[in-house]
Amino acid sequence: MTEKDSREDILKELFNIGVGQAAGTLSDIIDKKIVLNVPSVKILDIGPGRRELEKFLSQVASGAVMVSIMSFNHQLQGVVSLIFPAEKMHRFIDLCLHEERTETTMGFTDIDYDTIKEVGNIVLNAIIGELSNMIRIPVTYTLPEVCVLDHARAEHFMSDYEYRLILIIMITFDIEGTEIEGAIVVNMTLKSLEDILNAIDGVFHGR
Amino acid sequence: MVKILIVDDSKFAQKVTASLIERSLDDVRFDFASDGEEGVNKFRSGHPDFLIVDLLMPKLRGQDLIKKVKEMDRQAKIIVVSADVQTRVEDEVSKMGVLSFINKPLNEEKVKEIADIIRNDVR
Repeated sequence: MTEKDSREDILKELFNIGVGQAAGTLSDIIDKKIVLNVPSVKILDIGPGRRELEKFLSQVASGAVMVSIMSFNHQLQGVVSLIFPAEKMHRFIDLCLHEERTETTMGFTDIDYDTIKEVGNIVLNAIIGELSNMIRIPVTYTLPEVCVLDHARAEHFMSDYEYRLILIIMITFDIEGTEIEGAIVVNMTLKSLEDILNAIDGVFHGR
Repeated sequence: MVKILIVDDSKFAQKVTASLIERSLDDVRFDFASDGEEGVNKFRSGHPDFLIVDLLMPKLRGQDLIKKVKEMDRQAKIIVVSADVQTRVEDEVSKMGVLSFINKPLNEEKVKEIADIIRNDVR
């Protein structure tokens, strides 16, 4: 294993820890056990990243997707998105609110959007915030946003030409027999990745 | 009667926070604000006994709200409930004289901590 592979391996592990924390917080919100499969973390340049994202969107989320997005800046700069198939979100929101919905509509109410915004805020904070703590680089967040995309494309999750790097974390979890497949996509600058990898070196060499 | 002002831009978080605290404390009355600016105004007009404050909010961040409220009343009792898990943020906010910094989501243990702070202060 080269030094680059080794550092990427550590980075993947840090994201795995963040996803584990996020699953714990989700479990607290819905007050039910969440069975989380080991997430697959890929760190890709913009071209392969776009192809991988398109593959995910066509295979797992071919219908509408519900997306929670936050930007982070300061020393690290990027955008992080939480993507789930919209069809599974009604059940998930009901679990969060501890309510059963009476009407069977495909649309989403203001309360639905608000709930997913808050859940996205907590989950994305767990992932980016824990990474920030581990590597000791602070981040500042923008307000989270939520939207439903009927025909999502990879471009929706790539915010800026300068953000050349894509981290895709595929997650599958099971809540009482309902399996939900989703993805967390982090689009950031190469400099941010370099800073993270350098910080990892520093932390693991005791600097 | 203890008056608690919950300042959070999420109605979901407002509802969860209020209902969990209500289970642990008797004789409480809640008021709500959906951003930092509204929070400052409601603090000024309503004189709540405690504020429960989120950090990442529109119009005025939680940190700025705390600063403004503390300028009005150094003794204002503020508990921060935020999704931000960064230790630096917790350190920064703790130095502003808040009673506690608690990470979302709330659970029974965390709500007990809030209830104990309020109960002990009211005694």
